[in-house]
Amino acid sequence: MDIQLKRGLLDVCVLAAIKNKDSYGYRIIKDLRPYIELSESTLYTILKRLESARMLTVYSVEHAGRLRKYYRITPTGARRIKDFLTEWEEVASIYRFVAKEDRHG
Amino acid sequence: MDKQRFLAELRGALSGLPRVDVEERLAFYGEMIDDRMEEGLSEAEAVARTGPVSRIVSQTVADIPLSTLVRDRFLPERERGEKRARSEGSESQGRRRSGATIALLALGFPLWLPLLVAAFSVLLSLYITVWAVIVSLWAAGVGLWAGGLGGLAGGAFFACMGHGWQGLVLCGAGLVCAGLAIFWHFGCAALTRGAAVGTKMLFVRRRRAK
Repeated sequence: MDIQLKRGLLDVCVLAAIKNKDSYGYRIIKDLRPYIELSESTLYTILKRLESARMLTVYSVEHAGRLRKYYRITPTGARRIKDFLTEWEEVASIYRFVAKEDRHG
Repeated sequence: MDKQRFLAELRGALSGLPRVDVEERLAFYGEMIDDRMEEGLSEAEAVARTGPVSRIVSQTVADIPLSTLVRDRFLPERERGEKRARSEGSESQGRRRSGATIALLALGFPLWLPLLVAAFSVLLSLYITVWAVIVSLWAAGVGLWAGGLGGLAGGAFFACMGHGWQGLVLCGAGLVCAGLAIFWHFGCAALTRGAAVGTKMLFVRRRRAK
């Protein structure tokens, strides 16, 4: 898969994992595991990228005697998910057209 | 390996990178290990699942922009300030020392400037040479693809013209070229990645472990 495309997909996957509830690193990896395998170092890179793009914010919460970082989606992040869904609706319709033409050919 | 040893090893391996990045990453991996242990894994298992230090290091170097590494390599102002504060000498002593350094730099200017320019030119030419080799390898890869496609097309052409054997030989040569081109592509991609990370490693400062 094209690297840029994959990067975009991973960003949206991580945003989706924190869309409805703030989450932390390990939880995100676990939530995404049925769909995509992410290593810690890849997740770290994605989280930093999304944070720089102001698509998420980070805060720490004390948990079991230690600090745990939580990630919260921002309105910009939520908009990115919406844009992704719109873009992919177009891609899906192109895919259906190509598949149909291929079958007929 | 236990968590503390893993983090110490990681800290050592990342020690040449900007300090903020190192601390953030260590906290991130430490948290991951704690979360895994909380889920019931043993400390050794949790560390093993985090992955080898070498992979984390190469990914970290690949993530940090070259400009940040260069800035950190050549403008370690904050660190110099910290070191100065830690040193036993008084402020005036530090000022005297920096004055003497400036005077020495000014006096040695005719000597160190040509040397610096020469050293920079040598490094730049080495850098260009490495990338020129990589570009030429990619070009050879393109040549192999072209040879593959040309061989297949030529083979088909000869076969259609009634020269069966020549066509078959050309098709075979084309397939060999195409097969080689596939392997060549992966080799070139790995080499390019390695050269990019290697370039960044040049700007990673080596700090002595505390």
